[in-house]
Amino acid sequence: MHRLPFVDVLAEQQDSSRKQDLASFEYTFQAEITNVYPLTATEKLYQLQIIDPGERQRFSFQPGQFVMLELPGIGEAPFSISSSPIRHGDIELCIRGVGNLTNFLARAPRGTIVGISGPFGTSFPVEKMQGHDIMLIAGGLGLVPLRAPIFAVLENRSRYGNIDIIYGARNPAELLFTYQYDMWRQFDIDLSIIVDSADADWQGPVGRITTILEQRIAAASNIGKNTYAIVCGPPVMFKFVCDMLIKARLPMQQIFVSLERRMHCGRGKCCRCNIGSTYTCLEGPVFDYWSVMNLKEAI
Amino acid sequence: MTARERTYLGVPVSKPRAAFFEFTSCEGCQLQLLNNEATLLDFLSLLTIVNFREAMTEASDEYDIAFVEGSITRDDEAKQLKAIRGRAKTLVAVGSCACFGGVNQLKNRFNDLAWVKEQVYGSHAIDTREAVPLSAIVPVDLSIYGCPIKKEEVERVVTNLVLGKSIDYPRYPVCMECKANHNVCLFDLGEPCLGPVTRAGCDSWCPSNRFGCWGCRGPAEAANVRQLRQIMHEHGFSDEQLLDRLECFGGFADYVTELKRAAKE
Amino acid sequence: MLFRVFAKDHLINLYDILAVNHIVGPLCKGLDRQGAPLYDFDFIYDFAELQLDYTATIHSLKRFVLPPRETLCTFDLQKDGWRKQVDFNAYKPTVYFGLHACDINALNKLDKVLTGNVYPDPYYAAKRKNMFIIGVGCTPQPFCFCKSMGTDSVLHGFDLFLTDLGDAYFAEIHSARAFAFINSLECREPRQSEHQRFVEVAQERKSRFTCQVDTTDLTKILDLEFQAEVWRDWGRKCLSCGTCANVCPTCYCYGIEENVDLGLQHAGKTRHLYSCNLIDFAQVAGGHNFRPESHDRLKYRYYHKHRGFVEAFEESLCVGCGRCGQSCLASITVPEVIASVRGEGGDHA
Repeated sequence: MHRLPFVDVLAEQQDSSRKQDLASFEYTFQAEITNVYPLTATEKLYQLQIIDPGERQRFSFQPGQFVMLELPGIGEAPFSISSSPIRHGDIELCIRGVGNLTNFLARAPRGTIVGISGPFGTSFPVEKMQGHDIMLIAGGLGLVPLRAPIFAVLENRSRYGNIDIIYGARNPAELLFTYQYDMWRQFDIDLSIIVDSADADWQGPVGRITTILEQRIAAASNIGKNTYAIVCGPPVMFKFVCDMLIKARLPMQQIFVSLERRMHCGRGKCCRCNIGSTYTCLEGPVFDYWSVMNLKEAI
Repeated sequence: MTARERTYLGVPVSKPRAAFFEFTSCEGCQLQLLNNEATLLDFLSLLTIVNFREAMTEASDEYDIAFVEGSITRDDEAKQLKAIRGRAKTLVAVGSCACFGGVNQLKNRFNDLAWVKEQVYGSHAIDTREAVPLSAIVPVDLSIYGCPIKKEEVERVVTNLVLGKSIDYPRYPVCMECKANHNVCLFDLGEPCLGPVTRAGCDSWCPSNRFGCWGCRGPAEAANVRQLRQIMHEHGFSDEQLLDRLECFGGFADYVTELKRAAKE
Repeated sequence: MLFRVFAKDHLINLYDILAVNHIVGPLCKGLDRQGAPLYDFDFIYDFAELQLDYTATIHSLKRFVLPPRETLCTFDLQKDGWRKQVDFNAYKPTVYFGLHACDINALNKLDKVLTGNVYPDPYYAAKRKNMFIIGVGCTPQPFCFCKSMGTDSVLHGFDLFLTDLGDAYFAEIHSARAFAFINSLECREPRQSEHQRFVEVAQERKSRFTCQVDTTDLTKILDLEFQAEVWRDWGRKCLSCGTCANVCPTCYCYGIEENVDLGLQHAGKTRHLYSCNLIDFAQVAGGHNFRPESHDRLKYRYYHKHRGFVEAFEESLCVGCGRCGQSCLASITVPEVIASVRGEGGDHA
């Protein structure tokens, strides 16, 4: 008989790791929304717990990595993890309601089961930064991917030099994670917050994030040698902040950014996040500034 | 039905009161809605239908969503449409007539409407004016394109409406779907087609049946009509043939004006 | 590799042996305006339908391994959660009878990104692993530039490759399955004269390629000419219709769509092949479009194929089959675009 044998890709004799890869492509973890905290009018912080206790413990990620979150029939999208890496499969995602998935999620009650796959992408090399000063510069929603590296650094605070967090938002009502600022400051962190336009209660500085950065750069000692910078925010901010850091002679390979792109798969397939040659989901979302320079249209 | 609220993933699902209306049209789009018996019951269970002349006799004036078919060709229609707009939270234009004026707006091509009236209606004078889309009279929230509309698309729109999902139309041209259906290009077979500039979503209904596209769904975003004109010329078709198609459903009105100007030069 | 020779009239025997399986091959779909045949790949039910001397097919083989629309999984909504069913949509092995070298090379290139990468794609893999591929030598067409892309011959990725020696087929055998099938025909090992004839046929074919693309330093030139005005000229012609990506044997970009059934009890996740030329390809949630202009999108298509993929895999994501140029109503062809970006050729706008 000349009937060709049917090959079942999952059952086929391959090395076991590869088989698992194939299986995990579609078989995402189920996770439960355990808590939801509104942060601003549009952003909420979701606490998610991977349901399977074994998977929950095995789930590990590096700060800066993202997961794909799926609501069946509604959609799937990438979100950077903003919880501490030591908490494994108990993750926190800060999500703004802008699209189908995120708006539906905003209406989902506690206890809703979502699909989580990942973690995917590159991370901030926080271990390499040990022994150095770190400047974390965030604009608007840019604080979200920076929260994981902030936690990672705080957990080993003694291993790092000066830590500056410079955070800018359009107005005080849009500031994220306000309840944590005092806690961060207790760890000997220089946290500066600036808004574009103040409201009646605002006591802090008003203006552009670059004004603060300028002061910090002036205050820093031997910035080119001692400092790493982590930058995330809207494209215009990226440009001004990075230009300023470069001018202050911070080497490009010591500046890290996190880029946002549309992603449909998170697995280096669908091309939606492809910037000419680079998959943001595989080679990013965290890039050093040298790589960004080589990405056309990146920021 | 029990009073218990339906939910999806724990989120309450609305069951909006819906009404269907028709103005100058063939009512074919409404018939399309009743067409697929396999899904009709599920479809009807998503809505509380309070007014649907094609399907029921009772009627009510309280509704959340109004599905409106047809173009506006008389003053009393305009008045009625405004009343519907006043009651409905969401007004959906259904089909090419409602979206663009449809085939009805072809009469607008005649300069002398009085002469047309006489030719068509003779001594039975009818109050009729230029055919216009709903959007010329009132703001329209959603458009369901096509002549006729596709039932599947309406089902998707309604499901998304009740779930609170946004309604997303394909923004690309019909060619994309036509190639996905691995058709032979009609230009290769010697027939003209508006597929390269018309909004997709019909699953290349006509081209798949070897019938060149007439643009019933209106222009795709970034429709390159200038290039299509050149393509038509290269394939031996005239500006008149292109205009005939572009003007048929009214969706390309802006492009037609530009093209006529270009054709004169 | 093992070689065998068999008489041409035995080909039908090979077909009959394999006909117990699904067979896909080139067949004639009609005539164009000039009366020339239009070929495409489809299921074959009769040996007489099989047109092994076909010029080129309109569409590639892609729809059999990467369907334009594919349901990846379905969900059952339950009271306290949901269950997910995954189906790789591969049920039967299929024989692909009569593929040209470019199309086999295209599959090899797709393998690199879809199965050889960090996260293999099981939907693709399941279909790909159930292929039995018989290649045939081609007749170079005026639009084929596979020779420039190094894909005019193929070294692996097939079971059997047939070269027409006039009265007999020269078969390159690349798998144990193929060896078994060939041995059930009346065949023999090739003689020295047939070796020579095989080399002659290959050389004669090679000499008939007329279309060329200069790929020297192309990755760098694309970077250097990123802002070149010619991109805008091509952008003005482009219909942003995605035809090129659809007929391309190696374009694999896709989008994911999720939909809830009318009854609200089931949902599904569908993958539909997309094209980087479509207007909303690079649009993110919230509305920002990274490539709103048609020339930007067209440029990125070239960037991905001729620069990005080369950087990642040391080869281009283009096999030079010329289908995109043949199908493009606006007559945008790869050789012309690349020549214009290199500053060669005349006026294209």
